[in-house]
Amino acid sequence: MEGRLANSWRLTVNDKNFIKTALLSEIRIDGRKPFEYRKISIKFGREDGSSEVQLGQTRVMGMVTAQLVQPYRDRPKEGILSIFTEFSPMADPSFEPGRPGELAVELGRIIDRGLRESRAVDTESLCILAGKFVWAIRIDLHILDNGGNLVDAANIAALASLLTFRRPECSLGGEDGQEVIVHPPEIREPLPLTVHHLPIAISFGFFSNESILVIDPTHNEEAVMGGRMTTTVNANGDICAIQKSGGEGVRQRVIMQCLQLATSKAASITKQIKDAVEVFNTERALRKVKRHPTSTGVDVREKQN
Amino acid sequence: MEVDREDGRSQNQLRPLACSRNILHRAHGSASWSQGDTKVLAAVYGPKAGTKKNENPEKACIEVIWKPKTGQIGKPEKEYEMILKRTLESICILTVNPNTTTSIIVQVVNDDGALLPSAINAACMALVDAGIPMKHLAVAICCCVAKSGYVILDPTKLEEQKMKAFAYLVFPNSVRSVLPEGSLRVEGEPIENGIITSVTHGIMSVDDYFYCLERGRAASVKLSDFLRRNLQQQSTDSSKAG
Repeated sequence: MEGRLANSWRLTVNDKNFIKTALLSEIRIDGRKPFEYRKISIKFGREDGSSEVQLGQTRVMGMVTAQLVQPYRDRPKEGILSIFTEFSPMADPSFEPGRPGELAVELGRIIDRGLRESRAVDTESLCILAGKFVWAIRIDLHILDNGGNLVDAANIAALASLLTFRRPECSLGGEDGQEVIVHPPEIREPLPLTVHHLPIAISFGFFSNESILVIDPTHNEEAVMGGRMTTTVNANGDICAIQKSGGEGVRQRVIMQCLQLATSKAASITKQIKDAVEVFNTERALRKVKRHPTSTGVDVREKQN
Repeated sequence: MEVDREDGRSQNQLRPLACSRNILHRAHGSASWSQGDTKVLAAVYGPKAGTKKNENPEKACIEVIWKPKTGQIGKPEKEYEMILKRTLESICILTVNPNTTTSIIVQVVNDDGALLPSAINAACMALVDAGIPMKHLAVAICCCVAKSGYVILDPTKLEEQKMKAFAYLVFPNSVRSVLPEGSLRVEGEPIENGIITSVTHGIMSVDDYFYCLERGRAASVKLSDFLRRNLQQQSTDSSKAG
């Protein structure tokens, strides 16, 4: 199915000029100001570790699973963290199924660097038996709807999933203490992961007139912009990662401005994630209280959406 | 006989259904379907120009992509894709747009039993949302046969694993007709008595299978009513700007 011109979406020249001229007067086509973020909504699924994040029109689903594996030979006491990004064909007509393209790989790498190198997730607590058994945490990010700025949305989804994920508790047993017994969740309450801080990715778009800078570009703006930069910062003001691959050159003071903006946005996004996780945890605790199912003899029940 | 199910449902009781359409912005049609805890998201892109290599260019072609919750795509996913493709090919009117491909992407959000029927229902709703011409809707249901012989509908994952056999059945939706002679008839039988798809797992006797069909058909009438209400309600209160 390659080379299908019908699948590729192109913005018309009129649209592009309109976006650029509007930006000269600091107007964005969706009515935001240049440094305004879109509305973020974080929802969780039934299971621990499944989240769905909506950033304006962009929608990403995150899923965290864990498995007991042998650790890497050069790091016998550390657990393994791996991120898989799926650019689902439902997100955009130009996404093809099969091997991830370069956009998917880049997105995965940005999020990976933000989490792994900054040691946001404590991998040493994932070690059960040094050299033999460690937990391998796998984060699956499914992009469901491409409304622009996939990196930020996917990052929030990954963080929300990690914060609500619970791994089964296990203990050492057997004759020589070398066997690992994994306790099912009904017997022993599963444990949350240790997350030290939350690295938030904030993306910026640069336009040909270099003093124009926008935060959180939509996919129309992404088709017009000349360069992009993603900065991963946390609420403490630490820079976890900066990614600016190609595109047009920008002055240093613009980069500094971006970093300052990013730090202030990161604080509010971190608060939003933490609040959402709090609500989920309370709901989860309430669900643990077994209630008698209130069902009457109606064959088909329906929920109003 | 009275059967004790874990969540307190009776033998013929379905889990709470929830369906919402037009939830994605880029896709031409989208729907989210949940039966209890099983949740599936379906998106439709189409009709797009051209057909795939081995397909007949004189008809429209349907392509299904199944995305599991986690992990690689393996043989079970390919099987689901094939079943979905054949089911949807039989309900869509393929002669309206020849030499085009309609892609349906199914994403599993949560699997708690009766996954394939939920996916078929979601895909059908997404096709309606996209405006793809169809002969009738496909209504899918899962029936299980237990070792002691009783039949239950819409099992959860735990129930599915404990059962001796289960069958996924897809029926056309029930017809509400203004004509006095009722629905279309094919060889003397009304069209909604037909079965579009039937996939069974495990061993069951012929009587058990027919019993499942009967129960499934009765439940499909209720499901059709739910679909009809849902489609009518959403088409009146949401104004689609395209």
